[in-house]
Amino acid sequence: MENYTKYRLKGNDELAALLEGKDKLFVLACNKCFKEFTSVEEPDCDEFVKFAAEQGKTVTGFAKVDFLCNKTQTEKKLRDLIPEGTETVVVISCGLGIQTVAELTGRYVVAAANSLNYRGHHGMALTKKACDACAQCYLNVTGGVCPIVDCAKSLVNGQCGGAKNGKCEVDPNRDCAWEKIYRRLEKQGRLEEFLKQPVQTRDYSKINFKVINDYVKSVRESRFDGYYGGVHPSERKEYSEHLPLVRFPDPETVVIPLSQHSGAPANPAVQPGDKVKVGQVIGEQAGFISAPVHSSVSGTVVAIEERVHPATRGGLSVVIKSDGKNEIHESVKPNKPLEELSPEEIVDIVKNAGIVGMGGAGFPTYVKLKPGKPIDAVLLNGCECEPMLTADHKLLLAYADEVIYGLKAVMKAVDAPKGIIVIEDNKPDAVELLKSKVEGAADLEVVVARTKYPQGAEKMLIKRVMGRMVPSGGLPADVGAVVCNVSTVKAISDAIQTGMPLIERVVTVTGERIKNPGNFIIKVGTSVQEVVDYCGGITAEDVTVKMGGPMMGIPLPELSVTVIKGTNGIIAYDTDHTEAVSCIKCGRCADVCPMELSPLYFAKFADEENWQGMKDKNVMDCIECRSCEYICSSKIPLVTKIKAGKAAVRGLK
Amino acid sequence: MLITQLKSRETIEALACGKVFIINCHGCKEVSFPEKEAKALQEELAAAGKVTGILTTDYICNPENMKLRLSYHEKEIAEADAVIVFSCGVGVQTVSEYLETKKVYAGCDTYPLPGFQGVTPLEVDCDQCGQCYLNITGGICPLTACSKSLVNGQCGGSKNGKCEVDPDMECGWERIYQRLKQLGRLDLLKCPVQLRNYATDAEVSE
Repeated sequence: MENYTKYRLKGNDELAALLEGKDKLFVLACNKCFKEFTSVEEPDCDEFVKFAAEQGKTVTGFAKVDFLCNKTQTEKKLRDLIPEGTETVVVISCGLGIQTVAELTGRYVVAAANSLNYRGHHGMALTKKACDACAQCYLNVTGGVCPIVDCAKSLVNGQCGGAKNGKCEVDPNRDCAWEKIYRRLEKQGRLEEFLKQPVQTRDYSKINFKVINDYVKSVRESRFDGYYGGVHPSERKEYSEHLPLVRFPDPETVVIPLSQHSGAPANPAVQPGDKVKVGQVIGEQAGFISAPVHSSVSGTVVAIEERVHPATRGGLSVVIKSDGKNEIHESVKPNKPLEELSPEEIVDIVKNAGIVGMGGAGFPTYVKLKPGKPIDAVLLNGCECEPMLTADHKLLLAYADEVIYGLKAVMKAVDAPKGIIVIEDNKPDAVELLKSKVEGAADLEVVVARTKYPQGAEKMLIKRVMGRMVPSGGLPADVGAVVCNVSTVKAISDAIQTGMPLIERVVTVTGERIKNPGNFIIKVGTSVQEVVDYCGGITAEDVTVKMGGPMMGIPLPELSVTVIKGTNGIIAYDTDHTEAVSCIKCGRCADVCPMELSPLYFAKFADEENWQGMKDKNVMDCIECRSCEYICSSKIPLVTKIKAGKAAVRGLK
Repeated sequence: MLITQLKSRETIEALACGKVFIINCHGCKEVSFPEKEAKALQEELAAAGKVTGILTTDYICNPENMKLRLSYHEKEIAEADAVIVFSCGVGVQTVSEYLETKKVYAGCDTYPLPGFQGVTPLEVDCDQCGQCYLNITGGICPLTACSKSLVNGQCGGSKNGKCEVDPDMECGWERIYQRLKQLGRLDLLKCPVQLRNYATDAEVSE
């Protein structure tokens, strides 16, 4: 790959003249972008520092910064960076970085470099100049060969006549572009059409900085709305958002894993041959971070054995053959009304009902309800920012009252004065319904958030709604917030009002390769194969099936796995056989990372097994939202590398 | 990695005179791609029975990928009289290289985004002229801030600080003056006359 250096130090004479009368220099150098990411070190900074020393100048310090033009991040990096006693700030960067620093510091800055003109190289096409962005694409009349870039004279109406043997007269190493165009059109049988083309004029006024500026602003200015970064993947919710929520037929056999949550797997509380009823405990909580597991059917336990786990957690599953009667266990009975319950009692109900985070994370909810810190607000995540999924949307529409009841229960448990339901603006019907439900309640509020992934991530949600940043390694409670998924509080409502533990949930079955998509209430333990078959099966061969959404979902090892508490979706779509190519340091991963990390370093360090480097770049703060991988133009499997890094960093301690 | 805008409706309709296969590139969507407009127009074409297939993908310019992805649609492409690609110029050329004997048309015009070195900025701040003037202008680029890209001071046509070319735009040289005044560096205005070197990128790189 060619090295497209973005800037070059100005010549020594010019630099010497620039530095005349100036001293106590602080040097700020950009690490450069759009070049193969082989080395973190760029030589220009050191060269300049050496030159300054030769000129007898004092250098108070220097810093090498990634993507100096990223205003948000540079502002943070510049804080307390420039030492006292510095008289002159010298910036080595392209024009963007220099202007960013000039604006942010309000100082007179010395530009020590010139940007190089490399127009025509974009997209992945860094090795070849292909498009000059003339704003009036001629490719339609030239058979797909660009006359602006390929012709040395950028002629748009045919050859100049100076070519010899197909070679350009300006540069004999170059093919005549117009000859290439002629040959291409000949192949397509379009010569006649071409010769009859009217004369093309090039409108140079189309490239106007103001027009471009306004245009970029109009499409980009809201990108930091709420929080830094984020992406807008195609929503693809149209497969299932119009379909009603229906109950899935009872399975004949359920396979219920004892580990459906983060933390210790539950201990089996039944034996093969035992008769069980709906809501009966079949797995007991096995530690502080753990949760009990209940039967979703009535029938007979036929086995307790190792089965393939959907999230590859492994461990035992309880296999129960249903008797089809759905007899309810005697432990399932309504609790006192919410007004009479103490916070401790609510926490106990949630704990005993086996309720875990139903957005996919599976963290035992009762632990969250004992924050040990003052809580200002409970945030309900009804964003469903994952593409394709419509489970939470359907749940909000069908169970709005239960959701609000559950929210009130959580507020009481953590003693929060405020409850906020956050819904993205792509679900206007849910917004309207919930707004009408909370009308008049001073302590409840519905916040409509502009659709952006990963809005539903705990830390993003808190920042978006409360404007607070959860510190690195911290928890929502550290900033006075508790965040729950809407499905989770619906389960809390059921546990209080009917006494039914978490044994079923709303699941979206969708994707372009599911024959008949749908939204279902499915019992925990139902086989994914059964669900897929009921929906008409998978309509192609080369298909990826995931549990969850396309961004954070987990690819299923096989369809025999079963629906668990955290299963919000089962999706099937065409497998993407994209192969990774090398990083070109385009910086787009850093542009979209909502945690404001630099994922490009994770890819590099993981390949070098530089785990300390990963730790230093705060890999542990990564929420694995996959935004970086989604945007990566080189299609590097960043999240896989990050997961490897996290595992290794845990081992470092 | 640029701004793309749809070509006019008439142009696109003229391109789709027979049956067409459509390719959308969403790779640089976060920068700018007229997603909704393109979708609406394509739905209309499809309703008129003119579309043999639509492939929405990302990074057409990643050549290996594109080869594979196109291979899944061989039949649909063969049935079409032409392929219309909605992407920047790089994408159109990548596809047309693979389908040399097919008419491959561009559905978009591509605008330059000269600020796109590094992370997409909100403003176009640097024209990559190869001879940075920021030292004498207080860190405001005269090429992009002045509608005439003047490098030796104001043209004299501004009124009340607004540009005569576009009254919504601030006069770049007034901004530079104010910045220099704030920095106490009005002396910089006395620097010698600047000449702009219009050499090509290849020459500059040498």
